[in-house]
Amino acid sequence: MFSKAFFKKHVYDIAAYAGLTATFILFLIFSGENLSYNVGTVLQAASAYAILSLGAVFVYSMGFMDVSIGQQIGVYSILMILISNKMGGTIAGVILSFVVILAIALVCGAFNGAVAVWLKLPSIVTSLFLMFFFTGAQLLLMESTGNNTISIEASIKPSSRTAYNWIILAAIVIVALVVTFLFNYTKLGKYTKAIGANEVVAAQSGINTTRWKVIAYMTFGVCVAIASFIMLMRTGTAGKGTGGGYAMDVMICLILGGMPLSGGMVSKVRSALIGTFTYVLLTNDLTTMGVELNYINFVKAIIFIIIILITCRKNNGVLPR
Amino acid sequence: MKNAVKKFVAMMLAGVMSFSLMACGSSGSGAASSEGAASSEKAGKNCTIGVAFYQDSGLATTAAKAYLDNMSDTLNCKFKYTVLSQTDEGVNLTKIQELIASGVDGIICTMDSGTAAIVQECEAADVYIGGYLCDYDISYTQAYDAVFKNDHFVGTAIDGYAPDNVIVGKQMFESLLEYNERNADAPITHVSLAIFPVWAFPAQTLAAQQFIAEVDEYNKTADVKITCDPLNEETDVLAFAPMDSTYFAKHEGIQAIMSFAAGTGFVYPVMVQTGNDKNIKLFTTGFDGGEEKNFGSAGTGTYQQNCVTAVESITYPLVLLLNKINGVEFKDQPEDAERVSCDQFIMNSDEDMTAFEKNIYFTANASDALFTPEDVLNMTAYANPDATYEQLKKACSTITIDSLK
Repeated sequence: MFSKAFFKKHVYDIAAYAGLTATFILFLIFSGENLSYNVGTVLQAASAYAILSLGAVFVYSMGFMDVSIGQQIGVYSILMILISNKMGGTIAGVILSFVVILAIALVCGAFNGAVAVWLKLPSIVTSLFLMFFFTGAQLLLMESTGNNTISIEASIKPSSRTAYNWIILAAIVIVALVVTFLFNYTKLGKYTKAIGANEVVAAQSGINTTRWKVIAYMTFGVCVAIASFIMLMRTGTAGKGTGGGYAMDVMICLILGGMPLSGGMVSKVRSALIGTFTYVLLTNDLTTMGVELNYINFVKAIIFIIIILITCRKNNGVLPR
Repeated sequence: MKNAVKKFVAMMLAGVMSFSLMACGSSGSGAASSEGAASSEKAGKNCTIGVAFYQDSGLATTAAKAYLDNMSDTLNCKFKYTVLSQTDEGVNLTKIQELIASGVDGIICTMDSGTAAIVQECEAADVYIGGYLCDYDISYTQAYDAVFKNDHFVGTAIDGYAPDNVIVGKQMFESLLEYNERNADAPITHVSLAIFPVWAFPAQTLAAQQFIAEVDEYNKTADVKITCDPLNEETDVLAFAPMDSTYFAKHEGIQAIMSFAAGTGFVYPVMVQTGNDKNIKLFTTGFDGGEEKNFGSAGTGTYQQNCVTAVESITYPLVLLLNKINGVEFKDQPEDAERVSCDQFIMNSDEDMTAFEKNIYFTANASDALFTPEDVLNMTAYANPDATYEQLKKACSTITIDSLK
């Protein structure tokens, strides 16, 4: 079973699992008597990343990326607070605010997918446009409030930490199951992988690539909206910097999980979960181990480059497309 | 297959290197080792305090770490450090949760970001939390009950003055007058201002208004009047980016810039780029290191005032946390947690800078701190039953440049 051919075929998966296993062992060792508390900490910290990464699988499997999600999350969180507070902090207000941001997220997803095709631009260009747009919107919204940070009046977080952790876990599991189904058992997953493998061949095979790109980005948009709600539920606040850096974090999570930047047929949903938990556990380990501040980024960089070196798909000695 | 083996060997080697570094990191904080617990019975419970800084380097961070680590044995307290995000409340909550998971008994936090959720988390874990270098104004104005009335929040030592107690504008004006007294033959008579946006730092706008009011009052009786350009929204409000070079065209003829924003990072570099560092003076909050080379009569003499909050003011939340951890309180402890405005080291002259250069803030040497570990221990209620809250507050909030002379 464990022949040379097996290792050769699965070296990337083995490396991704090895990274997760190593960080998990350190987590068990250094959490000590606070293990149960720390499990909740990791779950909470991973929740938004996991949902975003799961949604991003559709986009990354096409060999594309979206750099605007951080700013989108910031604006969505602020809008949810403003709308629900305006409605007196009621549950109806919270639901309405979520519907509003979901609609905006879907429009942005459609924009990302369609405009890039119509204008024949790389998809990253349209997401850059959205990033700048949402950065401006985030600052303007916060300036209009006259505050650095605003808080939601409605009570959307359970007072029990245990109950909250179960809700978070349920959200991750449900999104993971839905994404797995869509990616592995529907046309959406098959076509996005085909686009990532070779878009020209996919188009000549009769796939309406424009349509499936739009659907893939819109699916990601749904996950961005859910992640925004999860984040807001956790802190109850949002501000001018909320969401900053999430686009890069999601990319790191996916790469750590073995997702090739070039996308294609080897893209897997599990990359999102493996990468997310490796990333969150690694950060958690470094803090619980008491690693010196000056070393934390250095250690992260070394571990990151190791995993990249192992998991990157080389094509005649050239790094991924 | 050969390549795959090579990759795994590379991973193993780099992994060993990484974890060696981690080990170095852990052993590097030798002063924080519990083995050196104080022998004194007064030292209190063996405990760990986490410190969440707003940045991982810089003079203030380095000096604070040196100051705390030096007290580890005497206070029977280990210190663990982490860095917060300046933008993301969720990341900050995670960082605090990680500190709690690592077994800390108390936390000193330098940012007011998602604080209500953080305090709620600390209360659930029975971990106490205090603030340092932060006015917690968002929590003070929007979540007072959830934060300042919470038994697990002990209060904060502010880097300067609370927004309802601004005197920085007055101090800046006094620095200008002091300069003019020293340079009576060539006084500064035309100045302009620089601030951060009001929605981010409302106290800076108040300070600027206070400065303008001081100038107006002074001009009523002064022979040589001072002109202060009104705030120009386009150029004087720095959106956390270096000052625009058109600033100097908008403020033609100025002799000094009074920067309530961090002038070292946002104003001085533009002065150098535009060649204005030789003919315009800079009075500014903050000190990043290196300013002394062009301060007062040194170098170009651009800097004529810098001000920072003493690292020793971290003693305020530290002592309150230690009291809580040891199950005691001061007899005169206020019911609600307080935010304490701290006087600053205001460097106005060469003499001031010379004194400042001998302080732990500048040297990062714990022996240069104003308070010894024994001093701090004696400020606690469990080691010294006569110690009072008012004494602690006064000791931490009235440290000025004169304290160093």
